Amino acid sequence: MKASYRWLRELVPSLEASPADVAARLTHAGLEVEGTSEYGAGTESCLVVRVSGVRPHPTKSGLRLVTVDRGAAAAQEVVCGAPNVPEPGGLVVLAPLGAYLPAKDLTIAPRAIAGVTSEGMLCSESELGLSDESGGIIVLPPGTAEPGTPLAVAVPNARDTIYEIGLTPNRPDGLGHVGLARELAALFEIPFGMPRPKPEALAKVADVATKDLVAIAVEDAERCPHYGAAGAVDVTIGPAPLWAKYRLQALGVRSISNVVDVTNLVMLEYGHPMHAFDLDRVRPDASGSRRIVVRRAKDGESLKTLDGVDRKLVADDLLICDGAGPVALAGVMGGASSEIQDDTKRVLFECAFFEPRGVRRTARRNAMHTESSHRFERGVDPGDVAAVLDRAVALTIELAGAAATRGRVHVQPGAPAGQAEPAPTAKRALRFRGQRVREVTGVDVPFAVSAGILARLGCEIAKTEGDTCEVLVPTHRPDLGREVDLVEEVIRVHGMDSVPAELPPIRASRDVGGREELARRAKEVCAAIGLSEAITFSFTSERALEALAAPAPAVKLDNPMAEHQNVLRTTLLVGLLDAVKNARRRDERDVREFTVGPVFLAPAAAATRAEVDAVLPDERLRVAFALAGDRPAWLEKPKPLEVWDAKGYALEIARRLTGKPASVVPASRAEAPAHLHPRGAAFVEVDGQRVGAFGPLHPDAVDALELDGEVLVFEMELDPFAAGAATPKFAAIPRFPASARDVALVVKDGIPAGEVEAAVRAAAGPLAEAVRLFDRFVGGQVPAGHASLAFRVVYRSPERTLTDAEVDAAHANVVATASSKFGATLRA
Amino acid sequence: MAAQTEPADPAANIDRALEGLRAGFAARFGAAPTEQALRDENAKILGKKGELTAILKELKDAPPDQRKKIGERVNALKQEVEAGFESCLRDLRKKARAAELDAPPFDLTLPERLPLADGGHRHPISRVREDVVNVFRQLGFAVFDGPEVEHEENNFGLLGYPPDHPATDMQDTFWTKGEAGKKLLLRSHTSNVQIRAMKAVKPPMAFIAPGTVYRRDDDATHSPMFHQIEAFLVDRNVTLAHLKGVLAEFAERIYGPGTPVRLRPSYFPFVEPGAEVDIGCVFCKKADGTRAGCSLCKHTGWIEILGCGMIHPVVFENCGIDPEEWSGFALGMGLERIAILRYGIPNIKLLFENDPRFLAQF
Repeated sequence: MKASYRWLRELVPSLEASPADVAARLTHAGLEVEGTSEYGAGTESCLVVRVSGVRPHPTKSGLRLVTVDRGAAAAQEVVCGAPNVPEPGGLVVLAPLGAYLPAKDLTIAPRAIAGVTSEGMLCSESELGLSDESGGIIVLPPGTAEPGTPLAVAVPNARDTIYEIGLTPNRPDGLGHVGLARELAALFEIPFGMPRPKPEALAKVADVATKDLVAIAVEDAERCPHYGAAGAVDVTIGPAPLWAKYRLQALGVRSISNVVDVTNLVMLEYGHPMHAFDLDRVRPDASGSRRIVVRRAKDGESLKTLDGVDRKLVADDLLICDGAGPVALAGVMGGASSEIQDDTKRVLFECAFFEPRGVRRTARRNAMHTESSHRFERGVDPGDVAAVLDRAVALTIELAGAAATRGRVHVQPGAPAGQAEPAPTAKRALRFRGQRVREVTGVDVPFAVSAGILARLGCEIAKTEGDTCEVLVPTHRPDLGREVDLVEEVIRVHGMDSVPAELPPIRASRDVGGREELARRAKEVCAAIGLSEAITFSFTSERALEALAAPAPAVKLDNPMAEHQNVLRTTLLVGLLDAVKNARRRDERDVREFTVGPVFLAPAAAATRAEVDAVLPDERLRVAFALAGDRPAWLEKPKPLEVWDAKGYALEIARRLTGKPASVVPASRAEAPAHLHPRGAAFVEVDGQRVGAFGPLHPDAVDALELDGEVLVFEMELDPFAAGAATPKFAAIPRFPASARDVALVVKDGIPAGEVEAAVRAAAGPLAEAVRLFDRFVGGQVPAGHASLAFRVVYRSPERTLTDAEVDAAHANVVATASSKFGATLRA
Repeated sequence: MAAQTEPADPAANIDRALEGLRAGFAARFGAAPTEQALRDENAKILGKKGELTAILKELKDAPPDQRKKIGERVNALKQEVEAGFESCLRDLRKKARAAELDAPPFDLTLPERLPLADGGHRHPISRVREDVVNVFRQLGFAVFDGPEVEHEENNFGLLGYPPDHPATDMQDTFWTKGEAGKKLLLRSHTSNVQIRAMKAVKPPMAFIAPGTVYRRDDDATHSPMFHQIEAFLVDRNVTLAHLKGVLAEFAERIYGPGTPVRLRPSYFPFVEPGAEVDIGCVFCKKADGTRAGCSLCKHTGWIEILGCGMIHPVVFENCGIDPEEWSGFALGMGLERIAILRYGIPNIKLLFENDPRFLAQF
């Protein structure tokens, strides 16, 4: 909402605060001034001058030498290129030498134009910051001011401070200057009276009654509880005077004609949108009488709105109709058929209260957002209809030479038809207990102070008993619905700076769900082993999920931002692989990233879920990583990451998170997850349960996702480990020395090393404390098709020092077993 | 007939050469064992010094009236060769892919290579999240989990958002359909957890709800997915002063000792009174504690960091809690904004691109 400091001061004459102080006070009271701009800043140094002579430029066509009278017998000649220099006698605006024009960041200095020096410039509106565009120089109406008068004095509204106020949706009263003025008066503790036109401003009345011009019927009183109308005749359509034009332009509204400008000025003043009909274009019905009917649309009915769009209507839309059909979408936008035109003679003003939710539904349905719908949606003041109509008529008399028609017409349910004064709008009564201010805010505001604040905001205080009273809420504050809203008003105006800061005694709660801590542990584990944390979008596409053979999406968005973000992920890998792809496109090949977050699976029955939540997707917390590029290396040429690296990361994550031994089970071709390469897919098991899978990404997925190369991936469920890692149990530290024996076994290539290791472990017997494969060698003297596997077996007894003979006997069994089981030979 | 053909007839020579090529190229392509070999063979025919190119050069010796016809035949053959090449390439790749998939498995029973704990980094949002969670945990708050896909009433209705009210414009929401066509949404704030907690737990309670939220905004300062932390306290006699006390403590611990806090009245449907919270700008703070004003605080000396207020009685009523007996406050903040300010990140998109060189900075 744009607001004019000048206008606000007119409405609160005793307000003396500077523009900056007004902005600060509004912001502090919750009407945030987001920006301040200076309108017409150039007008202060410019003068109204009278053209006294015009002659052509000696050398250049299109330029003229204009002599202007600056008053006090001073005259000067300036060069002007504008096409609209008036005849001698016309008033124009001169920027004299030294004048500074902020809109163009220009200081006027003597300047030679095609050989003639000009010591000043005749100005256009855009040069003075009065408008964004202009066709030629400003030509003021005759009699605007004496030559030599500064423009800012001659037309005060050409100079203003304009606020951009970020109004919260609960404050429709702030959408008009009257409401803002009332607020300022309350904040600065100065008197305020609702502006109403003086009787003399309405004295010019034609001998025709408004109710005889047009019959008004409201068929849906719920959607339109109050429809008011007033009229003006003998209207002369023409341009609005400068004060009105610049007031509107300062607030970002284009000046169109005196009568149209009246409706906009009144809307900006009271915050109550209104509509002006050309009465002679309101079509009569079949019986020949002029009618305005407020009714719901019929399904399929249509209306061409002022913006030229044909709107298909539904039965929920509220219409204003004349005798022949719809003429306006109530509260949203008028139609073209009855708008004010240059030849309009008789005007009917509408000021109504439309039910906010209905206006909003119609506006949303038609994707329209107008100054009018914005205000009606938030709730205009139902109590100011008469004031608004009177103001519009008074302004029309002033600006368009019109005469008022006699009386207003108000249509309200339960009131006599066509009454001239509206029935008073019922006010909400709230009980207010003075101590509630302290109980809610911690600030001791005396009851009298609270009551004073509420009264200044327009509330009526009644039935005061001690520190309790009844508060009648003014009609312009639909947001005040309960006692706590009054408490808020008190503290808002009293000042939130007065609230002390006190740490409360907090009775500690316990975590519910436990996922934050689980996720934190998973992130800590992954970062500790050298992976970097990615935060990836939950959105993805069905195509990407298909490429990874992930479950079909359980959540499809009705209104995605983009087609490639139209479902929620069922695997964490989509986002990680995006990161790999993007990094590679930027020529960054090394990616070692993990992510922790939920996947969204089809709803599953779970004992821990409330019945009402059974329709929600099953959000499962997972951890995943993607590895690409080279392994970190120390003083050696980097080598690409391999599947055994992925095994290392995967096992380490599983072990650290669970506090339990984890193992890897290679997946057979038949059961390998479809997104993994069948050569290297494996499961991670904890307590005999599969908790995750890793391996190189399937080459078809690499191609489908355009990943440009291999990626190693892992994904694991976290929810089974929400209870935390297993507690380690102490085992006695060995007191007796160990004996180690190495053995290098040559076996057929293709025999899994793990099988050989298991056999070695079994054969070494109970004295073997540890078996470790420390070398695998192929080539050299090892026969083709074979590999040498070197194990170190550590023997130890917890009870005594082992003899060499004992160890040798056990170790001999290792060789014998390997030989008989795998045909292994000792490496030469 | 062949013997009678004029050996010097260039048109006939070209014809013969074309026929020869046509008869042989498929077999030559088929015999290529690898993609490279196939490409080499293709170059031998279609390359700059290739056989077809050579034939094309002879075209200038042909009688002018036949040039056009021969030219057409050369082109036709060229297309045949190209098609043959593409088809062989596809076959080769298919075979290579099959062989690759059929290759002997890696021996995954070999021991794992333990990771080098080198260069693991936490995401800046996670770092901020943990810092904020820790501050509130130390004050006695615990974490209450909530879902990201939520019922409309938990996200809006029970929080006091009136139907068809402009307040819902403050949050442009992603909608979805649950099972049985029920209307669900991606939560637009973590305030849904207030409702879940107050329905599930009897007061008093002190909870925070960190989490992912979604709104339909996408520009340099908005991401359609982002993160918030909600904190709420429900007990007897909780006041706005307590809220301010917790905020002051939060500001001191997150933004440094002596960071001033101010409340500005504002509006959120689920609190009353509601406020926005500014802290003294951390960028233009001078040694003496005053602030010079800078572009980040728009020369006001204050930076807006969160929204808060006293829990609205209607929210208590909706959750079966008596607002005359219990009171409470709620506050909610966006984590991206804190991270962006703290680390000087120029565009919110950087937070979700996960470029390794970005992540390595934190």
